[in-house]
Amino acid sequence: MRWLRAWRHILAAKQSRPIEIGAVRFTGHPWRMFRNEAMDEELYIETLDPREDVQGAAKVKRLLYANGLKIEDDIECFVVARSLRQIVACAGLAGCLVKCVAIAPEHRGTSLALRLMNEIQQLALDRGQAHLFLYTKPDRVAFFEGCGFHKVVEVSGHACLMENTPVGIKDYCDSLRALRQPGQRIGSVVLNANPFTLGHLHLVRTALEQCDWLHVFVVSEDASTVCYADRLDLVRAGLDGMDRVTVHGGSEYLVSKATFPSYFIKDTCVVKACSTAIDLLLFRKHIAPALGITHRFVGNEPYCRLTRKYNQDMSEWLEKSGEEGNPIHVVEIPRFEVKGRAVSASDVRRLLAGGDFETVASLVPATTLARMRARYGLRAKPQAGRRLTEIFEVG
Amino acid sequence: MKKPRRSMLFIPGSNAAMLSTAFVYRPDSILFDLEDAVALREKDSARLLVFHALQLPVYKEMEIVVRINPLDSPFGLKDLEAAVRGGAAIIRLPKTERASDMLDLEREVGRIERECGREPGSTRLMAAIESASGIVNALAIATASPRMDSIALAGFDYVVDMQTQRGDGIELFYARCAVLHAARAARIDAFDVVFSDVNDDEGFLKEVQLIKRLGFNGKSLINPRQIELLHTAFEPTEEEVLKAERIVEAAEKAEREGLGVVSLNGRMVDAPVVRNARRILQLAGSPPART
Amino acid sequence: MEIKKEAMCGTLESNDLLVKVAPRAGLEIVISSEVLRQFGARIREVVEETLKHMDVSQGQVVIEDKGALDCAIRARVQGAVLRGCECEELDWRIL
Repeated sequence: MRWLRAWRHILAAKQSRPIEIGAVRFTGHPWRMFRNEAMDEELYIETLDPREDVQGAAKVKRLLYANGLKIEDDIECFVVARSLRQIVACAGLAGCLVKCVAIAPEHRGTSLALRLMNEIQQLALDRGQAHLFLYTKPDRVAFFEGCGFHKVVEVSGHACLMENTPVGIKDYCDSLRALRQPGQRIGSVVLNANPFTLGHLHLVRTALEQCDWLHVFVVSEDASTVCYADRLDLVRAGLDGMDRVTVHGGSEYLVSKATFPSYFIKDTCVVKACSTAIDLLLFRKHIAPALGITHRFVGNEPYCRLTRKYNQDMSEWLEKSGEEGNPIHVVEIPRFEVKGRAVSASDVRRLLAGGDFETVASLVPATTLARMRARYGLRAKPQAGRRLTEIFEVG
Repeated sequence: MKKPRRSMLFIPGSNAAMLSTAFVYRPDSILFDLEDAVALREKDSARLLVFHALQLPVYKEMEIVVRINPLDSPFGLKDLEAAVRGGAAIIRLPKTERASDMLDLEREVGRIERECGREPGSTRLMAAIESASGIVNALAIATASPRMDSIALAGFDYVVDMQTQRGDGIELFYARCAVLHAARAARIDAFDVVFSDVNDDEGFLKEVQLIKRLGFNGKSLINPRQIELLHTAFEPTEEEVLKAERIVEAAEKAEREGLGVVSLNGRMVDAPVVRNARRILQLAGSPPART
Repeated sequence: MEIKKEAMCGTLESNDLLVKVAPRAGLEIVISSEVLRQFGARIREVVEETLKHMDVSQGQVVIEDKGALDCAIRARVQGAVLRGCECEELDWRIL
């Protein structure tokens, strides 16, 4: 089409995959030309897929390295600013997290940063992710505030979690506040419930005996074998009829890829120093006060190292003085045992994969068993081409 | 007597800050760009920014040109609606190749004026020629419509079409002449290309001297710094001013005495010469007694 | 007009503003600005007027202002709403 400048074709051919629609060729990635007044250099802002554009990824890696950062594997897409030869600025997107933001020194202090961060929000929005988070050191907070991010919670001197709206955590807490209940001892339990077992039920019952009201949260991140909708349903069914209990759907602010990213990295059980702190401090500073929570109940964790560390850190971050928000008492409750072994959801998953429903029946409430049967069609023929072992990965 | 139009400052339509503050530089005219300065993704929001900026009181007093996208693009017609309804004085059509391009534009502009109740004929048109075809059709384009205000040469795309690149100006020589002749024959204005190296004052002034001598009415600018330089370069010399004053004096004397012919130093002075003298005085900043 | 999806329009550069809209029950306008004290009321007025003109009665509208003029506020709010409503054709009479 006449309205495309000739040199855009050249740029398109070199840097991104063009899409042909009829006679019109234009790049699949929107880009713009931006004149950096300070440098009087022409810069092009565009997207880069690190998995496809190997050369580009190498340039990004160099830029990050020069800024003391490493390129991270889970980044789906970068927004970069290119001059004729180099990449002078980049910002990466991994789900709802913005990572690997770097700007070459000669371009700092210009509006390039604003353009970059704006572009990454647009990109994320195109992919259906409007709400973005990022982690940064406290001395960079002001910079990101200038780019439209707002503090959620800070681990003093170490890391700060930010989000791209002034009313994210505020709106969430307002919605929680509407569900406040009266009482001196207001308890809380956070469950993944993958699936909901007698162990979970025991934890909730025991916790309930020790408080006036109990708030049960179900982790909403959909990274478990049993999907979130089902897990929530299992919890509600399992606790149906119990007084003084509120079951809350989860949120991005509680054990999520935003607040506790390392929990969701499947291959390694990487236990980073600060990874639990953000999640726990957020709970203490924002969630607990909204509901008036005074206690947090956890089952002791004999198997998963990461969960065990999380529980240990809980005492540190929720109870110690000097942090924002009132201290929250952490109460560890011994695991419910069946035949001398602590009931664990991972055991249940393994048994389900092996088809041992008899044993499963002894580990989960009837409501869970019924739903597992209905959901995974045990009476009927197994789904064509799928075996239970495929449905229930052991991991 | 028309206002001088030496400087036409290009402002990206997607930049809210520039749109809000461009008037402070006081160019002779301002161009709000919806075409090349605006990324595909921002075409919709830039259109809205320009629509609203056009209605600022300060811009109502200035001559505002809006460069729309070509009418056969997904954006052109919507841009045109915004520009005409917003109150732009002139619409600049990029990549004008032939007279029918202007006629198509004229038709749409007329329709929009009727729909929004704008004075019919109040929106004028500027053709931007950016290719060999456009140059070859320059006269037809310049005379295509009574709404024609001016033609502009756009250098970058033109040299690409000509399979060469920007240099000392020889590559634009024919195009400049063609645009000028078409403009003069059609009695409309002619504008020269953008000079993109904002740090090369010397080069800029050289180019300005050239186009002034060729007879261009003005030039497209992309940096406010160029405005001052351009206006100074376009100022007539003292000698030119003195000569012009004498011609205008003679013309006014002839009129007072009811003489049909103007004479100076025993020679007849044609009407075009008088007009030119008035133009020079206006550029010099002293408007003639009669406008 | 109905805001059907989350959308944003604008930038955080000086003299501009960033507008984000999202579907929500009821109408909520959140304004964040460096000059909130001096101009907060005026910004709100312009935003409300613009939304009213577009017949938007539901949704969350978050404004992050960097000293924008009224004309930019109108343009960005309209831009965000149009993107959020997934409207292709614009009825110019409502602007």
